[in-house]
Amino acid sequence: MTITEDAPPITEAIAAQGVARSFGDVRAVEDATLSVRKGEVTALIGPNGCGKTTLMLMLAGLLRPHAGQIRVAGADPRTDAAAVRAAIGWMPDQLGSWDNLTCLQTLTLMGEAYRIPKGTARERGMALLERVHLGEFAHRPARVLSRGQKQRLSLARALVHDPQVLLLDEPANGLDPRSRVELRILVRQFAAEGRAVLVSSHVLAELDEMVDEAVFMSKGRTLGEQAAAMVADARLKYRIDAIQPAALHAALTAGGVDFEPTPTGAVTRIADEPNAAQALAWLIRQGIEVHRFGPVGSALEQTYMAMNEERR
Amino acid sequence: MSTDTTTQTPPPRPDVPVSPPPRTGNPWMPTPHGVSLMMRIELRRRRPSAKGYVFYGILFAIVIAICIAAAVFAPPELSSVNFEIVLIMVLGVGMLIAPSLSATSINGDSGEGVLAPLQMSHLTAGDIAVGKLLASWVVSVVALVALSPFLIYTFLNSGWRWNEALLTVGAILLVVLTFTAVGLAWSSIAARAVASVALAHLTTGFFLIGTLIVFGVASILVTEESASRDRYIDWSTLDQEASAALDEAYMTGDYSQLDPDDYTCIESDWPMTITHTDRIAWILLLNPAVMITESAPVVDPVTWEEDGRAAPGMFAMIHSLISDARLGPDEEVSDFQAYDECAELQGMIDGTVPTYDEDMTQEEIDAFFAADEAEQNERQQRLANLTPAPWIGLGVQLTLLIGSMWIVIRRLRVPYKKLRTGTRVA
Repeated sequence: MTITEDAPPITEAIAAQGVARSFGDVRAVEDATLSVRKGEVTALIGPNGCGKTTLMLMLAGLLRPHAGQIRVAGADPRTDAAAVRAAIGWMPDQLGSWDNLTCLQTLTLMGEAYRIPKGTARERGMALLERVHLGEFAHRPARVLSRGQKQRLSLARALVHDPQVLLLDEPANGLDPRSRVELRILVRQFAAEGRAVLVSSHVLAELDEMVDEAVFMSKGRTLGEQAAAMVADARLKYRIDAIQPAALHAALTAGGVDFEPTPTGAVTRIADEPNAAQALAWLIRQGIEVHRFGPVGSALEQTYMAMNEERR
Repeated sequence: MSTDTTTQTPPPRPDVPVSPPPRTGNPWMPTPHGVSLMMRIELRRRRPSAKGYVFYGILFAIVIAICIAAAVFAPPELSSVNFEIVLIMVLGVGMLIAPSLSATSINGDSGEGVLAPLQMSHLTAGDIAVGKLLASWVVSVVALVALSPFLIYTFLNSGWRWNEALLTVGAILLVVLTFTAVGLAWSSIAARAVASVALAHLTTGFFLIGTLIVFGVASILVTEESASRDRYIDWSTLDQEASAALDEAYMTGDYSQLDPDDYTCIESDWPMTITHTDRIAWILLLNPAVMITESAPVVDPVTWEEDGRAAPGMFAMIHSLISDARLGPDEEVSDFQAYDECAELQGMIDGTVPTYDEDMTQEEIDAFFAADEAEQNERQQRLANLTPAPWIGLGVQLTLLIGSMWIVIRRLRVPYKKLRTGTRVA
């Protein structure tokens, strides 16, 4: 699947508005609003127990929301749940595999469950196993897989029916560093293929590298504008470290630049990369011995920490 | 949030294009494709491990040993008992294994996290439910096939006809299917596998043994203590003359000299219990084992030899017991007439009641006992030949089967309205 020039004008693959769901008297999701566009990766970020998985289940058409509107790939899960499920590739947070079956059998049977002819399902299963680097395990039973390998099998399983929308719940859990990098690459590829990807994770540094948009969630609510502004602001922040911080502070003050002093230098806001290059050149011209100059770090992590919400 | 990592990625591998059919609405009906796929998945997944094969091996060794013993000690003439034992084995093995498998099928899968991905696919709730039901049931069919040499061997000596044997085997498989569905329903209701297995076996136990207990308890409720009233001549108030006259009359059989006014009557009440089992026999007919025995052929206790059958076996005996309960108390008992000595005496004085002849000949006594025995035999024959009543049991089975599957499908349908307490979706 690739995006063609005459792609349909509707780019929102998932649109959720004011979604709420409670279990007994526990209000798991109180008010969630988000949209995920085709060809983009959107992160769903929040502390443990803030309702991420519940929200994903509702988006996947597995759980009925008590309030709010959801549309996935143009279908309403309340009236057209089967169409919603068919459009979605869902990678659950819980690892489940048929231990007695081989990886290839698992994917073939799963493909058949989507009414794909057996031969095609098998071929696609093999291609997917190659894609998630499990090709050598194709004929080994799933019980021999490690946690990270099962995670990758689960990702391959979510792709058997070539879904337009991917919901990945904690896909990076249990993955080794190389697999994380590969996952990041895969996720970008999925988006490049025109799929809409919603991914939740705790590993914020990972997400920074792969997402286009981020939705923050706290206590069952999505934080819309406010969090987006915080992320945008965090993205502007540059850290400047100089041999003599005092000289740096003096130069910045003299130049009329807003900054936050740090023990080793300063943090300031710079709009974009050309501006950053100009700023660095200006500092050098001022005779400041800059030894470190760059973005502060994970914008998502900064926002997450700044949200300062209590963990549940 | 840079996207520069994509620049170093290799181009996406050639994909195998797939085009799953579009879906609309939220279908739940089982489909042949979905059911057979679900069965394949279940049977492959539950392929026993090495330990499992050892367990099944031991189980079969025991069953086969019992069958061989039954065959060895079988008398040479036709006997249906061995065939019946093998049938009971098939039922027992099926009732133990299949519901145990199905009772862990849904909550177990849900706990392992392999149920939700299937619910996400094009498999409908009906596909998953019926596929799981049949996959567990097939195990007991395998047990039947494994026992088929004994089944056929004992059948040949049983005096049953082919169609009768097939009918009863069918009844057994239906009962196993039903209780497999009950197990599946419990596993869709209870969160824990331990609870659902226990509940499945308790349900089976209720229908197999509980119905007998309920019948026993209920029989107290339908037991009538009709006070029976007898009338006697009050000897203590008789004067000596009247007493002697009466004695004289009893001795000679000549009552014409007696004056009825001399004899006062007293009444004596005594309790007589009649249990109207005919009113509660339906409780027994709910029992699936009774349904199976009621589907067995009728064996006449008198004419079985001419009919080319074996002597009445266990199933025929059970049928007679059930028939006894269905017919209720003997009519003679319920038509019991109170004894009235005074009326009798009056009748004899009037000459309307014949007087006894003291001297009964031996022939007459024999004839009296023969008549009594014939009456007994007639009752036995009537019980054995009473039209079997498997219909109530069949109705129970079908209701349980359909009801259970209805519950299972409802509980498997997504989006979930509510969850089993203490569980997660995935």
